[in-house]
Amino acid sequence: MEERRQRLRQRLFLLGQLTGRELKRKYARSLLGVLWSVLNPLLSMAVLSLIFSRMFMRSIENYPIYYLTGTLLWQAFAGATTASVTTLADNRPLLLKVKFPMELFLLTRGCAALINLGYSLIAYGVLLAVFRVPLGWAVLTIFPVVLFLFLFSLGVSFLLAAAYVFFGDVKHLYSVALTLWMYCSAIFYPVEQLSGPMRRVVEANPLYLFIACLRGAVLEQRFPSPAALLAMAAWGVGMYALGAWVFRALREKIYQRL
Amino acid sequence: MGGETGIRVEEVTMEFRRAGEEPGSLKELLVSGWRKRRPQTFRALNQVSFTVEPGEVMGIVGANGSGKSTLLKLIAGVLAPTAGRVVVDHSRVQLLTLGTGFDPELTGRENLYLGGAILGYTKEHIDRKYREIVAFAELEGFLEEKVRSYSSGMVSRLGFALATARDAPEILILDEVLSVGDMFFREKSEARIQEMIHGGSTVLLVSHAPGVIRKNCTRALWLDRGRLRKLGSPEEVCAAYEQQGRGKSKDLAPGR
Repeated sequence: MEERRQRLRQRLFLLGQLTGRELKRKYARSLLGVLWSVLNPLLSMAVLSLIFSRMFMRSIENYPIYYLTGTLLWQAFAGATTASVTTLADNRPLLLKVKFPMELFLLTRGCAALINLGYSLIAYGVLLAVFRVPLGWAVLTIFPVVLFLFLFSLGVSFLLAAAYVFFGDVKHLYSVALTLWMYCSAIFYPVEQLSGPMRRVVEANPLYLFIACLRGAVLEQRFPSPAALLAMAAWGVGMYALGAWVFRALREKIYQRL
Repeated sequence: MGGETGIRVEEVTMEFRRAGEEPGSLKELLVSGWRKRRPQTFRALNQVSFTVEPGEVMGIVGANGSGKSTLLKLIAGVLAPTAGRVVVDHSRVQLLTLGTGFDPELTGRENLYLGGAILGYTKEHIDRKYREIVAFAELEGFLEEKVRSYSSGMVSRLGFALATARDAPEILILDEVLSVGDMFFREKSEARIQEMIHGGSTVLLVSHAPGVIRKNCTRALWLDRGRLRKLGSPEEVCAAYEQQGRGKSKDLAPGR
């Protein structure tokens, strides 16, 4: 019992160290460092607002916040999964020494993306104040949204990292798939502009579900419906379970291929 | 198992799919289709058996590609053998290779904590041993600098000092580690190894330099293309290994 607690503490220490490394490394040679996590979404919001806010003026009330809500969640997901693709290959020399499950490396990249999201949320909070968006209790929706998005990203990361060990082109394919996925997530346009099968695709897209729930909570002070909450939980937990299961099943082969 | 830090390798065979046999990319997979090919395997280790008693220093010699690293990975528990059994307490095994695990973009101090965490140390343990590690690595005053700016000798000294900073006896695998650093550091690290052995640790020492094996080991084994060619005293094994090596180079370069 005592030993188990000791080990858990050691793992947490390790997770903290590895996550710290990811963050330090990401900004290793930049002047502004971690400030980029705050600036990046703000700058892209400014650019997109400049172009699109007139276009969608009638259909979207508060375009900058509409866009920012979508892009923050999207960036967190895209960042975590993209970084995870090469995780195992990047840590190849370490994997030989490890006495801990290699899933930890993937968890690390997920945590780094989560912390980045945290920084970006600071910018988000400031902008909410600037645009005088009234906040209600519904804003607490962010916790389940982020939690299940985190699990969903981890699941996808497991699948990608395992696939990359066997097929090097997964990295390139995924970046293309990610672009398509982004356009299907209604990040900078209103979903009402779509019709027919494309609309159904977007509405079936789990990322859109996460984004829509948070938008509803922030812009309309509306709690997500129980069905939507359940769907988010199902996507998050389901994808995580699938990814973790595949990863476990392939473990031996992954080690051999490394 | 005799002791907690012993190793028993029983009839171990390790096979790999031949590299290039499996499609390495989706493109190759599409072009070649899902045709079933007879899987060609490569036998990295062939029915290898030996035992290492606690407190022994076992030297391992062998040419490149003789299966040394595969054997180490099996003992470390990274790979599982195709056939046979490796009996060892994996949680005690420490694999020490050169310069791995350090991140050049982080400072020496950050790397000590990161590397220590990876080796399984707790934060308190590193806090407690910090000064000792730095002193042993002779890196006082450099710890706030990025490892990028270290010399390779400094990196390996840090790695060695960190990996041997444990209290409990363990199974230490040294892969070409004792042949680095200057003469003085080498003497110091050999002394440290001796200390650990007296504390009940077991050491596997891999080296291309027979001199290192002769000087430090109590027994030695020679791996040749996956087979255990010879197991015995360091003197015997090294002599046989050197003799074979000389024969080979004579064949290749008759002029010399």
